[in-house]
Amino acid sequence: MLLDFGKLGILKWVLITLCILVALFLILPILFIVALSFGDSRWLIFPPPGWTLDWYRDLFADPRWFEAAWTSARIALSVTVLSVVLGLLASIALVRGRFRGRELLRAIFLMPMILPVVILAVALYILFLRLGLDGSFAGFVIAHLVIALPFSIIAITNALEGFDPAIEQAAILCGASPWEARWRVTFPAISHGLFAAAIFSFLASWDEVVLAIFMASPMLQTLPVKVYTTLRQDLTPVIAAASTLLVGLTLVLMILANRLGRRRSA
Amino acid sequence: MIPPFLHINGLRKTYGPVVATEHVELSIKEGEFMTFLGPSGSGKSTTLYILAGFQDPDTGDIRLRGRSILGVPSHKRNIGMVFQRYTLFPHLSVGENVAFPLRVRRLPQAEITRKVRRALELVRLGGFEERKPASLSGGQQQRVALARALVYDPPVLLMDEPLSALDKKLREEIQYEIRRIHRETGVTILYVTHDQEEALRLSDRIAIFNAGRIEQVGTGAELYTSPATHFVADFIGDSSFLDGTIAAVEGRCADLRLGDGTLARRIPLHAPGRPGQRAELMLRPERIELSPDPGPDGASLPVLVQDVTFLGNITDVVALTAWNAPVTVRLGFMHPLSGRLTRGDRLWIRWAAETVHAFPRD
Ligand SMILES: Nc1ncnc2c1ncn2[C@@H]1O[C@H](COP(=O)(O)OP(=O)(O)O)[C@@H](O)[C@H]1O
Ligand SMILES: [Mg+2]
Repeated sequence: MLLDFGKLGILKWVLITLCILVALFLILPILFIVALSFGDSRWLIFPPPGWTLDWYRDLFADPRWFEAAWTSARIALSVTVLSVVLGLLASIALVRGRFRGRELLRAIFLMPMILPVVILAVALYILFLRLGLDGSFAGFVIAHLVIALPFSIIAITNALEGFDPAIEQAAILCGASPWEARWRVTFPAISHGLFAAAIFSFLASWDEVVLAIFMASPMLQTLPVKVYTTLRQDLTPVIAAASTLLVGLTLVLMILANRLGRRRSA
Repeated sequence: MIPPFLHINGLRKTYGPVVATEHVELSIKEGEFMTFLGPSGSGKSTTLYILAGFQDPDTGDIRLRGRSILGVPSHKRNIGMVFQRYTLFPHLSVGENVAFPLRVRRLPQAEITRKVRRALELVRLGGFEERKPASLSGGQQQRVALARALVYDPPVLLMDEPLSALDKKLREEIQYEIRRIHRETGVTILYVTHDQEEALRLSDRIAIFNAGRIEQVGTGAELYTSPATHFVADFIGDSSFLDGTIAAVEGRCADLRLGDGTLARRIPLHAPGRPGQRAELMLRPERIELSPDPGPDGASLPVLVQDVTFLGNITDVVALTAWNAPVTVRLGFMHPLSGRLTRGDRLWIRWAAETVHAFPRD
């Protein structure tokens, strides 16, 4: 290796310290929030003078929080299903298809990832106003689908590119019709990619806030929007409790995605 | 008249400007082991893929027992195939891989279990049912693929260079297995390879492919003793070719004037030739003599030893003629000169007229 880590001498310790500092910088705010959610100070004093579960009790006692969480979950699950199905179909075309403009199409599919979310949000908002989709469940799902699809397409095209089409041909010669071969052989064989696509799509919707703020109506609010609006009205540790739960679920899904990724590369 | 078991008739396939195969014409008997042998890109796989139904030919027909199969989709052709690359279903166990064609055909479980066991025993992998493909060696994976392709008793089994990813020793071992399986099952096999030794070892008959066409079809012995074209002569056996000019023609034989003025007498001609035409003299490495003395006039040439390669049971000698054309001579282990030759030795090559051929040039 050009840069042998063991031979860097003093520089090695500088690098290690830097890494620890960056990690702390990333993790501390989250730990801070978690600590506050269990602290008994109404005024978010840190370090908390004592510990309590009151804020979680308040959180669960308020049906509006539950409603927001349920809305978030319904939207995220719908987005997940649509994103995986559409992502799979798009990926088959992108990986297996031989047509002009394939690379261009791939670039277009990945556009929402590089486009600033605010611009996307404004554009979708204007469009949905026209279509009468603003503030509707369908509007939410479509808006989140736009940002979830690129993740789904990346995960599934990667898995599909690692799958030899000759295996599918073998299944067909074994007597399976082309769709049966895909259903019984190709899709199970790329299931790690499908799961990764599902998890990333869910997360893309679950903790999305910019589009959600534009789409939200008094009747329909996702959890991140509820956190945001509550925050603007009054600073209560209940927000810390809600955030902790959000982070918790995200963490679980990330670990799951990581596991799947590792099993694939093994 | 009874139609041939499998008849490939005037097949032609192009990919844009590329002609992959052309005029492919072949009849295969039931139970025959037919090998497509030819260099890479000569259209062997294309022909096989048309048989499998993954490609449609531009023109031509394929008839199995007299009935065209071109209109039948791949999954209804009931043909077995082993691919060059490993194609076991990665998420299924070995047993489920082999069971797959039977499950698709909705056979009862008891019959599936019985057939899967029998197929795995046929490829000597009994007891491997629970293993996952990733835990198998390349050779084992190809044997499972073979079991999967045979478990539903297809009338025809296609194999596209199934052993090309394996090392030589393992390859020979599985070649032997394939022969045994062919004997035991009696299945008709169409086998693709670019390895002449593999083709000779396995096949009843060999079709030599070159640039999308079949140059000659015959048993290994026929191809070796009477190659129809220069290409076949070159491909089967490591023949040497010496340039010459036809000096005289007598029936199907000719006298050839070689580069140093030597006259090679009464050489069998492969195509009609006339005096003055250029022709090539084909010499088989194991059918020519290497000797310190010249042979009878018109059947020998002086050479200079250029390179000696000891290969265990045989020794290959590359010698140069007076006009610097290389000739390969193969000596058996017991040959009196074996082990005594060095670069720079001056010797004679000798041949019997009936063991050499002349190919007139166009
Ligand atoms: N899908 C394809 N698209 C374009 N050209 C192809 C395709 N498949 C094969 N060819 C061309 O057809 C010719 C024959 O190929 P192939 O049948 O694979 O040869 P072989 O199996 O004897 O090596 C080659 O020139 C190859 O480049
Ligand atoms: Mg090939």
